[in-house]
Amino acid sequence: MNRASTPSHAAGEALRRRVLADPSIGILSLLAIASIVMSIVEPTFATEGNVTNIVNTMMTVSFLAIGMTVVLIAGGLDLSVGAVMGLCAGVAANLLTQGLSMPVAFAGALAVGAGIGLANGLLITKLGIPDFIATLAMMGIAGGVLLYWTAGVPILGYMNQTYYYIGGLTRIAGPITFPMILVVVIAVAVGLLLGRTRFGMMFYAVGSSPTGALHAGVRVDRVKIAAYVVSGLMAAVAGIHIAGRTTTVPPLIGNGYEITAIAAAVIGGASLTGGKGHVFGALVGALTLTMTRNIINLTGVESSWQAVVTGLVLILAVAANQAWTVLRARSRTKALAKGSAATSPPLASRTSRVHHPSPTPDDGVGSDAPAAERRPETIA
Amino acid sequence: MSTAGARLSRVLGIEGLPIVTALVAVSAYFALTVPAFVDGEAMRYYLNEEVPVFIITAGMALVIIAGGIDLSVGAVLGLSAGTSLLASMHGADTVVAVLVGVGTGAAFGLLNGLVIVKLKLNDFIVTLGTLNVAAGLLVVLTDHVQITGTQDAGYLAIANTSVLTVTSALLVAGIIVAGLQFVLVKSAFGRMVRAVGGGTAPALVAGIDAGRVKVWAYVISGTLAGVGGVLLASRLNSVQPGMAGGYELSAIAAAVLGGVSLAGGRGAIWQAAAGCLLLATLKQGFRLMGVDPLVFSIIIGVCILVGVIVDRSVFRLAVSLGSSARSQAALPPVQEGRIS
Repeated sequence: MNRASTPSHAAGEALRRRVLADPSIGILSLLAIASIVMSIVEPTFATEGNVTNIVNTMMTVSFLAIGMTVVLIAGGLDLSVGAVMGLCAGVAANLLTQGLSMPVAFAGALAVGAGIGLANGLLITKLGIPDFIATLAMMGIAGGVLLYWTAGVPILGYMNQTYYYIGGLTRIAGPITFPMILVVVIAVAVGLLLGRTRFGMMFYAVGSSPTGALHAGVRVDRVKIAAYVVSGLMAAVAGIHIAGRTTTVPPLIGNGYEITAIAAAVIGGASLTGGKGHVFGALVGALTLTMTRNIINLTGVESSWQAVVTGLVLILAVAANQAWTVLRARSRTKALAKGSAATSPPLASRTSRVHHPSPTPDDGVGSDAPAAERRPETIA
Repeated sequence: MSTAGARLSRVLGIEGLPIVTALVAVSAYFALTVPAFVDGEAMRYYLNEEVPVFIITAGMALVIIAGGIDLSVGAVLGLSAGTSLLASMHGADTVVAVLVGVGTGAAFGLLNGLVIVKLKLNDFIVTLGTLNVAAGLLVVLTDHVQITGTQDAGYLAIANTSVLTVTSALLVAGIIVAGLQFVLVKSAFGRMVRAVGGGTAPALVAGIDAGRVKVWAYVISGTLAGVGGVLLASRLNSVQPGMAGGYELSAIAAAVLGGVSLAGGRGAIWQAAAGCLLLATLKQGFRLMGVDPLVFSIIIGVCILVGVIVDRSVFRLAVSLGSSARSQAALPPVQEGRIS
């Protein structure tokens, strides 16, 4: 749209806009650079074993990050995902040790995850409890139930041939494992739901402006509850996966995963103020965190620094996210001021894009302008 | 109807009535059903055990009233215990070892406050991040194992000296709760904390530097976590990684049970401390009744939920009754949007 006098200038401008519009591109480039440096510095990094390890660990985080992204988009926050993941892993493992078939055991785990998600959603919408307090309490409850129920002893002896596939320990073909396929299927499904359906758009609407959504006839409570149910289900899927990946379920298996999930979602562009984020970003965030940890391990830094780094990465991600929003708003103001007379697109086409949360913006100007418009309350 | 309503409204408006009633009822129940509960020695023991939670609850209540939240207090308490004990083990003077612990807490509080206020970041996420940083640093510091054994008798005496019938640690906790309550109610700073928590915009109108007040609230919370850490290290003479993890949940539960509003601006330190006492009493009572201590995390979670729900409904009821009998000075005005 903004075709300035020199083509190279216009191209540079478009690229700048595009990068500004989607942090994932910048992050992926950083990760690529880090990978190249690491494979030169540390020979073990680029080995097949290590890459497989990174990818399989990333899968657990990806499931949680996708669920967290959906909740964040709808303007909520779910601190219970780590504990729920642990509890669901325990449920699946326990049902298997009792001789139940795999579909039944997994259905049980999924039901527990969805049930807790539903409870979270109801507590938050119907009783008006602040989201972080309700899910914090749920974290204590779910974690406590697993701890009490297992009496602090890890669950063992549930692994079988099929579960090695589900845990990603046995590969299907070449480097492909079952969890990879599952992550791709879920990511595409949730991505399409969010970006291409009316229902998906409601998540963005509710997260950007609950009152506005309500006035537009959106059933805000239902959408929010749905988001928490999705998050609970994803935690259950992550639980089923991690039980297979680690082959035992210690009672504290889910500890700290909520932080990883939030950090991954925020790195991927989701915002704590709601209305922002996409599934692809969640995967990029999951990869970033998993690679960071792997690099810490490989470079011989004490594994104890992991928690410290995760904490710092979380704060940095939120800070960067905030800076990004400001930067974007500024660049938009500048663009508007510069070419208001000649080049600004018709207002109608801009506003029509306001509630079009496409994960892959097809043009630079349109996609960064509405994003700032969508959430005036966060800029003010 | 209106007089009955007014009377009920007046009763509901009494500060701290719900928590004190609950505390008395629960204590009475355990005293009557579990004879071991009233044993003085056992009581002193379990109260002593709860001192760190008591102290961080006071700080947590202050931060929440100021409109924030501090999830890092548990981990910071553990780290402060570690730095303080390590300093003492390496031959530092008692005073120096104490200052190292308290300083660690204060530094984290300052970090939390500055990052939240100056970078305008979400308090929940920032303190979740520093929780990880502090917990990780404790693991690094202790190198995954328990550290123990300072030779400094003076350091060990800090928490373990008997004053009249209570320990010095309990006395310190009591002084902190009373002091902070006094500050909150009687000092200009306390009034500013309540104003800022009640809504930043009105506070700004009143000429209060909301950012500075918030930073100070976090510094106090961190410092108190440091004090709690020193007392814990002094009592046990050992620190292990993961220590005090989850204390922040107890502190939030205690504050919420004590009627501190998570929306900010409303609450009292002493009531939060009473909430903490209620949790401690429940824990001890269940323990004596032979309930598995592992179940306690569930109880805390349920207490947080029940506390918030009851607080909201009582507040709503009081407000709706108060609107028909407008003479209720004790009730704060309804602020649109702050309650939800």
